[in-house]
Amino acid sequence: MTQNSLSPELLQKAVHSLPEDNLSIMRLEAADRFSNMGFPVMGSEDWKYTDLSQIADLTSQWLNGSMQDNADDHANHNTQIVESVTDIIDAHWIVIRDGAIDSHITGPHGTTIKKISTVNKKIVTGNDAMSVFNAALLRDGIHITVATTLKKPIGILYIDGPASVITQNRAIIEIEEECRLQVVECCLSAGTGKQFTNTVTDFSIAAGASVNYVRIQDRDFGHTSVNRVNALLEKNTIFNHNGFDLGGALTRNDIVTEIAGKDALVNLNGLYLASAEQHIDNHTNIIHTVGPSTSTEEYRGILSGDSQCVFNGRVFVAEGADGTDSNQYNHNLLLSERAEIDTKPELEIYADDVKCAHGATVGQLDESALFYLRSRGLNLEESQRVLTHAFASGTLSKLTVEACYDYLTDLLDNRLELLVGAAR
Amino acid sequence: MLEIENLKATIAEKQILSGLDLSVNAGEIHAIMGPNGSGKSTLAQVIAGHADYEVIEGSVEYQGHNLLELEPEDRAREGIFLGFQYPVEIPGVNNAYLLKAAVNAKRKHQGQDEIDAFEFLKLAKKTMELLDMDQSFLNRGVNEGFSGGEKKRNEILQMAMLEPKLAILDETDSGLDIDALKAVANGVNSLRHSERAIVLVTHYQRLLDYIEPDYVHVLWEGRIILSGDKTLAHKLEENGYEWVRTTVSS
Repeated sequence: MTQNSLSPELLQKAVHSLPEDNLSIMRLEAADRFSNMGFPVMGSEDWKYTDLSQIADLTSQWLNGSMQDNADDHANHNTQIVESVTDIIDAHWIVIRDGAIDSHITGPHGTTIKKISTVNKKIVTGNDAMSVFNAALLRDGIHITVATTLKKPIGILYIDGPASVITQNRAIIEIEEECRLQVVECCLSAGTGKQFTNTVTDFSIAAGASVNYVRIQDRDFGHTSVNRVNALLEKNTIFNHNGFDLGGALTRNDIVTEIAGKDALVNLNGLYLASAEQHIDNHTNIIHTVGPSTSTEEYRGILSGDSQCVFNGRVFVAEGADGTDSNQYNHNLLLSERAEIDTKPELEIYADDVKCAHGATVGQLDESALFYLRSRGLNLEESQRVLTHAFASGTLSKLTVEACYDYLTDLLDNRLELLVGAAR
Repeated sequence: MLEIENLKATIAEKQILSGLDLSVNAGEIHAIMGPNGSGKSTLAQVIAGHADYEVIEGSVEYQGHNLLELEPEDRAREGIFLGFQYPVEIPGVNNAYLLKAAVNAKRKHQGQDEIDAFEFLKLAKKTMELLDMDQSFLNRGVNEGFSGGEKKRNEILQMAMLEPKLAILDETDSGLDIDALKAVANGVNSLRHSERAIVLVTHYQRLLDYIEPDYVHVLWEGRIILSGDKTLAHKLEENGYEWVRTTVSS
């Protein structure tokens, strides 16, 4: 237990070093709570396969050191990285570097985008250790209110700089009744330093509204991130999530959706591509509080090298949530004998009239399909690439934000090329 | 074009081909007939280069070169086409993409430029018309959800686009209703060419009513035990395979 705890004094000191503002009380309370909790310990129920002990070490080192912070170092970041995304995906972009938000953010017409510190509202911290940690060291976050249907997506670009930094990101996104919103989130690295990024995103979706949310994580292979998405759905709402995890040394995603109104629809889709020693852990939790409501989920993974991935899909159907229709699938393609996937469905059903289906597959490339392609003149590597691509296209075809299709296609092309190459 | 001598092949250590001889020249159509388990499909797979089959003796020469040392893709690029008995479904791979990739792999091998997109589409559409195939098949996943007849038509479409020198069609007639059979036969007949050899592997004589072979061979327990012209197929149909065995052994 001790290895994952952080010195309370160190944490308090760090909190006090942040500028005093509307968030100060939240930070101090959270620091107190976190000191009692500590980082999640590997082997505990929710963290069975994912080890954050190095994060605890890294954080201690960073807090002990100068706690250097790149907030004043924007100029050093390569603008090319920003443009590599913003030039291709047409969106209203907000760029956040090492947790620092541009001072002049404004939202397009019908929306308000502010720093959380300037919004006079109590922030819900969350109860899990990583959300509490996020609140303790949060410099600032963004608060978005959407009262219209925008043509273009809102883009959030998180960039981690080259230095060793511990970063907390937080986004609160509120969609008003009957509005439709597209959000593209890109997480990239501007260097190869050892970083840890902890991000919390909250969606609250008012009656009749819908959200199409695409999250693309393509960070440096030395990077560690913990990412939590909470979505609260009122009646007649839709939440589409498409997650793409390509980078990072260790990545943990928790996607928690709560259906609080009738006739809501949750679609969670994810693709994870892991090679070498990468570790990608997806935990999803779909809570059907009321029925009728529907959730579908399909996560796909392609693993090579010594990579390890985790999929844990929890579906909770509360008592009385009759008419719940839920299905969940996890498909994995292993390109290496050493790669490992731990996949687990977790259904908890307390209602009577419920349809719940789930399934998981783990396999290699189909030999007969490989031979078929080779017999048509495609060489072995090309055939492997084509089949691997076909597997990934199962997720790409579910993409709900058209604006990032080209960007993702290119990204996946390049990444799959590497993955297949490395598998040989 | 194709010279097979004393070919012996095994799968999972079970011997299927036991000294097969066959000689095929350009411009010829050969039918290989035989009962189930006689080795027809094994022969087709060995020529195409399937790794599960091991050649333990004998030789296969194609255009004067040892075919057995080539990878499957190199055999294809050198002009060998296998029409599969059970074409593989590949969801997520677009039919047009595969056709184009296959055509370009061969063109590249021959030092030609990639096929122009317009030319490709024109050729594909023309061939599909001949095969009575809807153009929507181009944009579907390879064989994904195709009926038996559609899969076989798709094989012939690939064959037509690839213009092979040697085509082996493995049970192309199996599972086809009469309309599909006619369409497939039509396609194959349109591909008859003085520089192309076609080997039809079939269980039944029916296909040969529509595609007339120059030679008919009977495969029995891994060897060709009887060869003749197209009339042999009719005799087989009348008398059954047991008749061949008694004829040959007497």
